[in-house]
Amino acid sequence: FTSMLRTITGNKVLEAEDLAPVLLSFRQRLMEKNVAVEIADKLCESVSASLLGRKISSFATVSATVKKALEEAITRILTPKRSTDILAEVLAAKAQRRPYTIVFMGVNGVGKSTNLAKVCYWLQSNGVNCMIAACDTFRSGAVEQLKVHSRKLGVPLFERGYGKDAAAIAQSAIASAKESGVDCVLVDTAGRMQDNEPLMRALAKLVHQNKPDLILFVGEALVGNDAVDQLTKFNQSLTDFAPDPSAPPRLVDGIVLTKFDTIDDKVGAAISMVYTTGQPIMFVGCGQTYHDLRKLNNRTIIRALLR
Amino acid sequence: MVLAELGGKITKALRKLQETTLIDEKVFEDLLKEIAKALLESDVNVQLVKKLRENIKKTINFEELAAGVNKRKLIQKAVFDELCAMLDPGKKPYQPKKGRPNIVVFVGLQGAGKTTTVTKYAYHYQKKGWKTALVCADTFRAGAFDQLKQNATKCKIPFYGSHLETDAAKIAEDGVEQFKKENFELIIVDTSGRHKQESALFEEMEQVVRATTPDDIVFVMDSSIGQAAYDQALAFHNAVDVGSVILTKMDGHAKGGGALSAVAATQSPIVFIGTGEHVDEFELFNVQAFVNRLLGMGDVAGLFNT
Ligand SMILES: Nc1nc2c(ncn2[C@@H]2O[C@H](COP(=O)(O)OP(=O)(O)OP(=O)(O)O)[C@@H](O)[C@H]2O)c(=O)[nH]1
Ligand SMILES: Nc1nc2c(ncn2[C@@H]2O[C@H](COP(=O)(O)OP(=O)(O)OP(=O)(O)O)[C@@H](O)[C@H]2O)c(=O)[nH]1
Ligand SMILES: [Mg+2]
Ligand SMILES: [Mg+2]
Repeated sequence: FTSMLRTITGNKVLEAEDLAPVLLSFRQRLMEKNVAVEIADKLCESVSASLLGRKISSFATVSATVKKALEEAITRILTPKRSTDILAEVLAAKAQRRPYTIVFMGVNGVGKSTNLAKVCYWLQSNGVNCMIAACDTFRSGAVEQLKVHSRKLGVPLFERGYGKDAAAIAQSAIASAKESGVDCVLVDTAGRMQDNEPLMRALAKLVHQNKPDLILFVGEALVGNDAVDQLTKFNQSLTDFAPDPSAPPRLVDGIVLTKFDTIDDKVGAAISMVYTTGQPIMFVGCGQTYHDLRKLNNRTIIRALLR
Repeated sequence: MVLAELGGKITKALRKLQETTLIDEKVFEDLLKEIAKALLESDVNVQLVKKLRENIKKTINFEELAAGVNKRKLIQKAVFDELCAMLDPGKKPYQPKKGRPNIVVFVGLQGAGKTTTVTKYAYHYQKKGWKTALVCADTFRAGAFDQLKQNATKCKIPFYGSHLETDAAKIAEDGVEQFKKENFELIIVDTSGRHKQESALFEEMEQVVRATTPDDIVFVMDSSIGQAAYDQALAFHNAVDVGSVILTKMDGHAKGGGALSAVAATQSPIVFIGTGEHVDEFELFNVQAFVNRLLGMGDVAGLFNT
């Protein structure tokens, strides 16, 4: 009997041909859940590499083994490599008697201004005094949109109307915040396409001239494969258009993932964005009111992706 | 340029086909796989890609292909035709009629580009001599009316809206009524962004539609949207009578594959594309030209006549 048991539980070495069909079906699933193709491929390749030649008991199916490895890989990707405690950073800046500055950037219509207002609400409710800087001087109604939010939130709005240099307005806003003892300046910027060089230059100028404490890239959960390109090129532009190329690069520090309430279980953009930047998702926007701001829940993402 | 990369990939795959002397099933399978990958990378719905592959396989029957037939040409043409067919719902878009009021309501997800696009659409017709007007029925988004007002003012297009009224259907009805009385020919209604998961928002859209009895409902979609496109578009189609689609932000890097999902889900043709933030960055949509660009082929005729 013991010898029989041994043959049943005898180990099996995983070969490429065992893994290939299983990985193919997981890859398909990841893409259906809106993970960018390039990222789905890389994930599957790394899982394949980690499993090749590994021994599994014949009780374990290849599929379960791959699933577990994928789960681990995704958890690793989603686990932040830096502190995401913004409140502590704001307090540290306050101790230095200077306002903490956050810049919100991203392509058109993803939810920069709305989620800036939500972050403002969250900071306020944690005792942080905020100021909003209206540095979208291009899109019609952008200033009035922030006026409504600043009135509702009871925070000052620093604005200079339309058509002006955004970098200069941000600078004045930060100076004014310092003078009036504001703890945190939230800088709204105009939406722009990542390939639009003049606009990307202007954004880099705003960043390098004002040296914000935190650069948040706002990306919508609805976005498909473009997520990878958006983040790559926003980072690239911040590097390429830096005034001093020898200085350490100033890149995106974190992601605000918006419209999370519109995608059901197609949560893949979260993976694409974090994989591309190596930076964490700091906030998840999940609705259109001030309360609709969450922290990312890794388990939710993994469950939705691999169910 | 939009689609350039996808175009490049598909062209490469097709070119490989031209370079191969013997086209057997293996070559054919590889080609289909490559094309499928390119389409997925452009955000075409996973299920639609599957269907496309199956359809092409059906069109090209290897057993039946006579020895003399040019297999390459057949496969290339099958891919092209299949993409065109997917973008053609077989329904003509609504054409506004001169000399009477035409009411068009714009709907779509949050931030898709509705408010920007209503002005582009009005401006397009105004330039052609139409008497156009805009109604702002977005009572939700902060600054929505100011946005529309500033855009309309720049283009000298009459507009209607309110900072105080909170009932979107009422504003829509009143605005349309007023412009009808003033003999406007094209009355365009902008609405708030919404999504299928929030039923109250869809109810509001249905109320606006009931209050205005539009001649056409335009679904506006962002070209960078991923796999959620189909479900959202389908929900809009099921709630109201969507008749046309406009694809925005085509000046970005996104390849616009969601367009195929929108057409499939709404059974409605794409009428225009938005190619920038400025009012004149707006183009009529043409299926053949779009697929040419999708495949990276400037001159299709040339490709097929070789
Ligand atoms: N459902 C949902 N809608 C959101 C969320 N965040 C923002 N929105 C909506 O998305 C739309 C666009 O939001 P904005 O904040 O104006 O976007 P933006 O990135 O500032 O846009 P531009 O400045 O024009 O580039 C608005 O209708 C918001 O209400 C979210 O988390 N969920
Ligand atoms: N680059 C580019 N930007 C566009 C295009 N169409 C619209 N936008 C931008 O996209 C953003 C959102 O556009 P809106 O017109 O406010 O979108 P909306 O659908 O009305 O948004 P909500 O009313 O909040 O649902 C703005 O920054 C627009 O300038 C386009 O074709 N290209
Ligand atoms: Mg904004
Ligand atoms: Mg709008």
